[in-house]
Amino acid sequence: MAQHQVNYLKDGGLPVALTTIDKVVNWGRSNSIWALTYGLACCGIEMMASGASRYDFDRFGTIFRASPRQAELMVVAGTLTKKHAEFIRRLYDQMTEPKWVISMGSCANTGGMFNTYATVQGVDRVIPVDLYLPGCAPRPETLQYAVMMLQQKIRKEPASRAQKPKRLM
Amino acid sequence: MQQSNRLRPFFENITFDRVDNEMILNFGPQHPSAHGQLRLMLHMQQEQITKAHPDIGYLHRGMEKMAENMIYNEFMPTTDRMDYIASSSNNYGFALAVEKLIGLDVPRRAKVIRMLLLEVNRLMSHLFWLATTALDIGAMTVFLYAFREREYLMDLVEDYCGARLTHAAIRIGGVPLDLPDNFMADLRKFLDKLPENIKDYEDLLDKNRVWLMRMENVGVISKEMALSWGCSGVMLRASGVEWDIRKEEPYELYDEVEFNVPVSDKGDNYARYKLYMAEMRESAKILYQVADMYEGTSTELMAHAPQYISAPKLDIMTQNYALMQHFVLVTQGMRPPVGEVYIPTESPKGELGYYINSQGGPYPYRLKLRAPSFWHTGILTDLLPGHYIPDVVSIIGTTNIVFGEVDR
Amino acid sequence: MRAYTPKDDVQKKSYYTDRFWVAPQVAKSEVSDDAVFAADLEAIKAKFDVLDAYIQVEQMVVVINANDNYAVLELLKNDREYTQLSEMSAIDWLAQEGKFEIFYQILSMAKRKRIRIKCKIDEKEAIQSVEKLFRSADWSEREMYDMFGVVVNNHPFMKRILMPEDWEGFPLRKTYPLQGDEFAAWYEVDRIFGKEAREIIGPENRDPARIDRYDTKRFSRLGHEVPFGADISQGEPDTPLVYQEQEGVFMIDKFDAEKSVVISDRHR
Repeated sequence: MAQHQVNYLKDGGLPVALTTIDKVVNWGRSNSIWALTYGLACCGIEMMASGASRYDFDRFGTIFRASPRQAELMVVAGTLTKKHAEFIRRLYDQMTEPKWVISMGSCANTGGMFNTYATVQGVDRVIPVDLYLPGCAPRPETLQYAVMMLQQKIRKEPASRAQKPKRLM
Repeated sequence: MQQSNRLRPFFENITFDRVDNEMILNFGPQHPSAHGQLRLMLHMQQEQITKAHPDIGYLHRGMEKMAENMIYNEFMPTTDRMDYIASSSNNYGFALAVEKLIGLDVPRRAKVIRMLLLEVNRLMSHLFWLATTALDIGAMTVFLYAFREREYLMDLVEDYCGARLTHAAIRIGGVPLDLPDNFMADLRKFLDKLPENIKDYEDLLDKNRVWLMRMENVGVISKEMALSWGCSGVMLRASGVEWDIRKEEPYELYDEVEFNVPVSDKGDNYARYKLYMAEMRESAKILYQVADMYEGTSTELMAHAPQYISAPKLDIMTQNYALMQHFVLVTQGMRPPVGEVYIPTESPKGELGYYINSQGGPYPYRLKLRAPSFWHTGILTDLLPGHYIPDVVSIIGTTNIVFGEVDR
Repeated sequence: MRAYTPKDDVQKKSYYTDRFWVAPQVAKSEVSDDAVFAADLEAIKAKFDVLDAYIQVEQMVVVINANDNYAVLELLKNDREYTQLSEMSAIDWLAQEGKFEIFYQILSMAKRKRIRIKCKIDEKEAIQSVEKLFRSADWSEREMYDMFGVVVNNHPFMKRILMPEDWEGFPLRKTYPLQGDEFAAWYEVDRIFGKEAREIIGPENRDPARIDRYDTKRFSRLGHEVPFGADISQGEPDTPLVYQEQEGVFMIDKFDAEKSVVISDRHR
């Protein structure tokens, strides 16, 4: 009688993968980051370019959504003015947990070259920020690198922990 | 975790006890097809708009105030951020205004390079317009195609100045750099393919039923309305006024090149769309001609005016006086003569004007930026009433507004 | 000693000017040099006082009395074919003579000529709206009011346009500092979180060159990542930069440079 020995775990034949809940959840989260279309100024154009044909953001699972309720990543792309500040907070509050914020470009980081009366000096005065992207305007590659960094950050976080309040209030 | 703050939901939008059946719809400031940060308050009778009230200023960054506190050369990168789709046009408008104020003449090679940059920027802007408008109306394919071509143009500009979006590629008195070696070859290669590409877009859109329904006879601007609202560029030409500053008040080398000014008298969205397509072809025509002009010009790139313009880098490094002059110009800034000037140029969006009032100091006393999109947004007040909700998006699309220059 | 800055004009001033330096002037020429402009000027002079008129950089500048502004523009529009108002705004001369200068930049497409009409008003004085002639003045006048506080009479909707409606101060006046006043500095905090949050959030950092070496709250440090708010005054650990974790990611293949295609000709 022929002996058939199948090592399911090694040969990949068994349709079962062993892992932790954390890893599965974070794998899902980190590879389907849906970003809010939030182009405020010049950086918004580069954000569009990274979603368009040459840079193709879809391969990261990043799809731009127009509604904050379907988005979990807010890419603040551009200058935040004092008149607009209230709305960014409103949109941030409307996003569902878990949510992350990338501040794209110098204007969003620190006010950048617009050191004037009308500009918020850094979007982190209004909403908590996870990643700061330098550049004016950052290239699409930079934004994609930032998203990869964010994926790494998400994978490091425990999935089920109650969200701690981030900095600011 | 939601943190408490003082923001409460808006209730002024919904008045519960109204009897006149009027609804107030708030559009923006974060709306994917608002082309930036436009906020519209629309009074509606069912689906029809009765009153429109555009609210702008969400990208007001105080550029005019910045200009008053900066030396002239320092302000150049700020102009990039005005109409950020076509930055070099803004650079050029500012450089030209200051040159007229001083009375400078720019070397021919610099003029040729400026012309190249201006027209490449026009193409970039029009392609971007096509991409976003098509996306707003739902033609995702055109968005991807147009962005593909735009990336090639951005490569060209990047080869020249190192930046993709915010070029700062023009200086007062000339241009900082000569063209890189393969620039002309790459440009010609691109231009040879461009007619095919434009034909691709037109094949997709021209007879497309959805496109026609959203575009034809929607957003009709009459000639009187366009003139009264101070429209310029395509917005004006689509309403039957033949006025292109490149043709009527030629600057740079526009009087030496041959091109047509496409005009339509329909005034609707579709007319504007056709004009943008026609203008792209004209730009390509201009670029071919300008590319031929480049050969044989002398290698000088900056005007010679030691009082206002730094000497070439080689002189600065070798001659003492040039270095001293450069030091003074960088630390204190140039001091143009006392006087005022208003210089209009034809940017991709329309008439881009710079009004400079100089009091002889290194800082302009007043600088007013006349950005075409400001009035193209204003016209929405009169244009939108009578239209339906879906038309709003296509009308905003074809007005081609950019909020960097609406709010400045 | 701190440098003296006058309160009525906080615009940046050059820190050094040669004692003997005389600013040159942009050349002005007589209006009679240009037949088209001369005819236009005659038409204005026939009905209104003209305080000054000259040609500068190919455009005619006409200075008139402020209360004639509507009538002069009406004349130019209806009889002289100046059909478009390209631009209008104000200039602040309050520190020098206590007046605002209003300019109207108009264009005749038929003649291909541009004229600038200028007039001066006192600080508290209002000016007549030209919105009935040129619809574009609707927004320009609102902007002028927003930036300078120049009130325009007979305007259909005299509200701020660029700044929020509850804004205080007029930004383009020379008395208004570039970086804003107290109200501007706390505007977004007051509006969103309330005044009591000012202490928690802290003042704005207006120094573009300021970097705190040991700040782990505001700067992420690529290659030297530490937890939020950790004390790194004793030095920070090295964390090598990788685009993916070393042991790989669950169900994701690593990028293989060998298998990828490098596009050498981007215009292919």
